[in-house]
Amino acid sequence: MDFGFTREQLMFKKEVIRFARKEIVPRVQEHDLRGEFDVASFRKLGEFGILGLHFPESLGGGGADVVTTVLAGEALGEAGVDGGLTLAYGAHSFLCADTIFRHGTEDQRRCYIPKLASGEWIGCMGLSEPDAGSDVASMRTTAERRGDTYVLNGTKMWITNGPIADVAVVYAKTDPAQQHAGISAFIVEKGTPGFSAGPPLLKMGVRTSKTSELIFRDCVLPAANLLGKEGEGFLYAMQTVEWDRSALLAPFVGVTTYLLKKCSDYAKGRVQFGKPIGRFQAIKHKLADIRIFGEAARALVYRIAWCKDQGRPLNHLEAAVAKLFVGDWSLAVTNDAVTLHGGYGYTHEFDVERIFRDTRLAPIGGGTSEIQKMIISRLM
Amino acid sequence: MNFDFTTEDRALFEAVRQAAAGREGLPELLPALAYTGYLNPELSGTTLMGAMEALASLDPALFLGVEMSARLLGRALARWGSPAQRARWGAPLAQGTWIGALALSEQGMNVDNEPLATQARREGDGVRLEGAKSYVVNAPVADWIGVVGRLEDRPALFMVARDAPGLTVEAALRTLGTDGLPIAGLTLAAVRLPAAQVVLLTDDHLEVLRLWENQVLIAAALGMQAAALAQARDYAKAHRTGGRPIIAYQEVGFKLAEMLTLHQTSQLYAYRAAWAADRNAKEAQGLTWCAKVFCTEAAERVAGEALRILGGAGYQSGGAAEQAYRSAKYPQIAGTSTEIARVKIGDEALGYLN
Repeated sequence: MDFGFTREQLMFKKEVIRFARKEIVPRVQEHDLRGEFDVASFRKLGEFGILGLHFPESLGGGGADVVTTVLAGEALGEAGVDGGLTLAYGAHSFLCADTIFRHGTEDQRRCYIPKLASGEWIGCMGLSEPDAGSDVASMRTTAERRGDTYVLNGTKMWITNGPIADVAVVYAKTDPAQQHAGISAFIVEKGTPGFSAGPPLLKMGVRTSKTSELIFRDCVLPAANLLGKEGEGFLYAMQTVEWDRSALLAPFVGVTTYLLKKCSDYAKGRVQFGKPIGRFQAIKHKLADIRIFGEAARALVYRIAWCKDQGRPLNHLEAAVAKLFVGDWSLAVTNDAVTLHGGYGYTHEFDVERIFRDTRLAPIGGGTSEIQKMIISRLM
Repeated sequence: MNFDFTTEDRALFEAVRQAAAGREGLPELLPALAYTGYLNPELSGTTLMGAMEALASLDPALFLGVEMSARLLGRALARWGSPAQRARWGAPLAQGTWIGALALSEQGMNVDNEPLATQARREGDGVRLEGAKSYVVNAPVADWIGVVGRLEDRPALFMVARDAPGLTVEAALRTLGTDGLPIAGLTLAAVRLPAAQVVLLTDDHLEVLRLWENQVLIAAALGMQAAALAQARDYAKAHRTGGRPIIAYQEVGFKLAEMLTLHQTSQLYAYRAAWAADRNAKEAQGLTWCAKVFCTEAAERVAGEALRILGGAGYQSGGAAEQAYRSAKYPQIAGTSTEIARVKIGDEALGYLN
């Protein structure tokens, strides 16, 4: 066994942290207060090479392996980048762009990947529906084949980047009589007649990412916009789970390191009863719990990433374990961070308040903790 | 990066399981384990952690007896003893022909934060040792006890024979769990030893000893988790109610999912800490404390949840979950206790750790 990163990977991580602290973090609080997507920061992620890190250089990517890609996500969290931007990046690069890269034709790859890798275009994925969350097979959105076209009808829900996306990977039933085998994937560009996004939802956290419905009313797509093969959409959607359980969880690991530093600095500077509160054992215990969680989560996340680099099929048990652990345990850690800051932690002046709200999504997004428990217990 | 054990690692784990199967006492078990290479003092890192986990999952109490003998004392002698000392004690301990004990804890004080009270002073060609040790695993059955104390200003390991004049081993303690593990205090009143029975140490060596002890306790916690989880899982699949196995009910299946999550997370934690310690023991101290807190607390939680799944079947004495539940306090208390470990982790984050 070897849990180490290469020298190059560690140097790259430092570079990402340095870049993010300088170029992104200074505006994070302001954008969260306004509930605005920071498009400039998103483009900078593209310019730095993060949005397309794992795509081939020939398509404008960085040619990095999965572990390095996940490391970039951890670095963004460690630098203090907000959960909204890292979520927007995750939905864009892994749920949308990677699905096109993995299952698209050469023409589709050449058309979309360079624009998505650079950040010129923003991508999203439309899978969930108002009445079909974790129960994907019950989706009602249909794609009816009519000659050389497909006609989409239905509504997608909880779509990260929905209102701002230039292109969407959308899942719909080409055979409504079937369950999973009836689902297909499509590429839908903004401006396609019959396709619109709903207004951004007001959310508790990750407020800088824009979330909305995607609405399809007799939306006519050329048959060439089918992604991969008919009836394989569910399989494609499930393949994004590997990224969901590694790259999309990685910022939570990084945030823990950020919180530990933030809380330690506060505890050293805040004096009560004649001494820094960091001298009290109860505060040390809270700091310890933050680190204990972070170290635990790290190994789970990189195990998924490393296995993907080895070309192994996803181990659904290990993936669910990673998601369940990070999702459920991260809440206690961010709660501790707020408590440690006292009244200040309850205000927007200190970003632990935002991090607390951002983290609340962890046990919900990408498959709730309850779904993970269901998967694990069935596989035991 | 590599998250896999090697084929050789897995072969060793299986050999350890086979060697331990059906053997109930240290005199019988130690030589059988020696034959597999498990007691080799050079064994380290993730290979050792995986092998310890394999043994601990069969019998956590017996595992602790093995480790306190051959691992802690045997490895200290192999690493820091003179050639003569390695030949005299190290080899028999590694071969499993002698049972050893390591006396580290001091009566009435925390060895993590205070200097050792057990002291020796030079007397003629040897030393005269005075002190009192508590909670010494294997003390009632050991052929040799390695007593950690100070010789003048320097830490040292004093090799004391079971029948040494001045050594009194108290009666074995009755304990909450770890059934069958002999633990006792001992007093050393003017115990005279020749210089050849003294291994001079440094303060760094003491840190490493504590790290090894914590690693052993982490592995014990993994074993308790594995045993409790296996019993609960098997029961939940076999026991039926309402026409279905109870694992099919979310109140049971979800509990098992949480237990398995804790167990897998603990395993990775333990392996990673062991890997880090193999590279740089001093730098890995913090990660090892983190792993110890997590894994040992998870053991209690997993065992407790297992009992709830098992119902009355788990409440009966003798089951793996019942034993794990009672034993899970031991690894939290022994070594660097959970509370002290959290303070140290916090101190490290704050830059307060010296």
